[in-house]
Amino acid sequence: MYLKKINKNFKKFREILLLNSLNNFLTIILVFAIFITFLQTFNWLIVNSKWTAVTTNIPLFVFGTFPEDQRWRPFIWIMSLLTICFLSIVPPKWKWLRKNLLIAWIGMIPLGIFLLYGGFGIQTVMSRNFGGLTLTILLTVCSSMFALPIGIGLAFCRQSSLFVVKKLSSIYIDSMRAVPLIAVLFFGQLLIPLFLPLGLEIDSVWRAIFAFTLFVSAYIAEDIRGGLQAIPHTQIESAKSLGLNHLQIIRFILIPQSLRIALPALTNQVIGLFQNTSLMSILGLVELLGIGRSILANPKFIGQYIEVYIWLASVYWIICTLLALMAKYLEKRLKIA
Amino acid sequence: MNTIIKVKNISKSYSRGLLALDNVSLKVNQGKVLVIMGPSGSGKSTLIRTFNGLETFDAGEIEILGIKINQNYNERRIQKIRKRVGMVFQQFNLFPHLCILDNITLAPLNVQKRSRVEAEEYGMYLLSQMGISMHAEKYPSQLSGGEQQRVAIARTLALKPELLLFDEPTSALDPERINEVLDVMRKLAQDGMTMVVVTHEINFAKEVSDQILFMDSGKVIETSTPDIFFSNAKHERSRKFLNQLDK
Repeated sequence: MYLKKINKNFKKFREILLLNSLNNFLTIILVFAIFITFLQTFNWLIVNSKWTAVTTNIPLFVFGTFPEDQRWRPFIWIMSLLTICFLSIVPPKWKWLRKNLLIAWIGMIPLGIFLLYGGFGIQTVMSRNFGGLTLTILLTVCSSMFALPIGIGLAFCRQSSLFVVKKLSSIYIDSMRAVPLIAVLFFGQLLIPLFLPLGLEIDSVWRAIFAFTLFVSAYIAEDIRGGLQAIPHTQIESAKSLGLNHLQIIRFILIPQSLRIALPALTNQVIGLFQNTSLMSILGLVELLGIGRSILANPKFIGQYIEVYIWLASVYWIICTLLALMAKYLEKRLKIA
Repeated sequence: MNTIIKVKNISKSYSRGLLALDNVSLKVNQGKVLVIMGPSGSGKSTLIRTFNGLETFDAGEIEILGIKINQNYNERRIQKIRKRVGMVFQQFNLFPHLCILDNITLAPLNVQKRSRVEAEEYGMYLLSQMGISMHAEKYPSQLSGGEQQRVAIARTLALKPELLLFDEPTSALDPERINEVLDVMRKLAQDGMTMVVVTHEINFAKEVSDQILFMDSGKVIETSTPDIFFSNAKHERSRKFLNQLDK
């Protein structure tokens, strides 16, 4: 069976690639070029590369400069995030847990803040000690969780029958989408402190989360609006005829259905947000990419650029792929016909 | 005898001056079944949708279960009517993201604020009445058209309505599935439910209805009992329509 398939593919291959002398020639040249490239790459990977910059700094990549004896705190937070992700994908048998999954998700933010900042009996840690993957995840989780409800609200406002509400949200969404993310981030880091009254200070992590939320919510609003437009009007009619009022229709019919329809687009936003947090490394936050850069600045690891960036790329790749797989699985499970 | 629906001279026109409803009046008493027939575009659906406020009108007055509505859209009164009047649509319009039982209990739980146990119990009872209790945990897309329409009927019955409106309930079904829905409707009529049905099913109309209202281009052409309507219709236009249907 398999042999037959291989044989068939091989024949097809030969037909396409080795048909006449010109094709023969091109094929040989290409194969040679690919061979050389791979040889070089493998040679470098196996013989010449030095991974000490990565291997000796793994805890730094994960936790940044979080105090060493307190590293269990971000570890617990990341683990509980992983658990709740898993529970969302594979629905648990207990009904009460399934019903309260949303509350558990929302609870992840205060839990994270408590574990990272400390207080209430555990040692406080300043936000300038946050870093690495922990900070990347903190930025992504907080911004996306704040941006989602704001985005839903904006999407409904944009469809509102009240002229002022409709115009205001349209203006907000359109102007946010017309500004590059880096400009919004600069606004968050440099301008917000100027606007605030003296003595009141928001630390730079929260200013970053604020800026990301402002930016992403506009995009999420558009995704949700697309979902809303895909819901047939008859759904609203039948809900009305059952006596449901405006708010109930939004809560029980429109939000759940539009979220399901917009799920692929929302996944895109989260993955994009996760990658965009790396922009913060040029604005003074040492998240995953920032840690890489500061490690490279250490004379001990001079010249190991390629290794560190390959390592960072693969970490981003693994996490984004996991997110995408998770979303794919969720989509399958929540599919509505 | 209580009058459930009293419609007095309602008219509705669309922007191009097309009359969707032209001076329509009718009356339905408690426990009676009114069947509305007519060619497509004659305003049957528009008429039945004015009864629970899905469609507005320009002039006249409607009184449903003692609640009066007129051309001024009054959300509170319409909401009151919707809580007591059920409607079944041509395209079923079940909520695709909820399982069958949740579809049925959504309104009792949130509109009538009944307890979950009570709502689910009554929902299961209705499903067993419809002969589809084994599908309670499934989703609408997993059911056939006839089953979906029976769920839709159960969903409106869950609110214990005093009047049921059917807008071409069998038009989107396969021919062999039509009867399973009509049987449910027959049973409802026998149990004394007041119903208004827009349909093209002649046999159903003959058997079940107490009165037939024939419409064309927004006007009521005639209102008769089924015996008279199907054997000896008063109006030329109705006879022509029936001839067309027989072919």
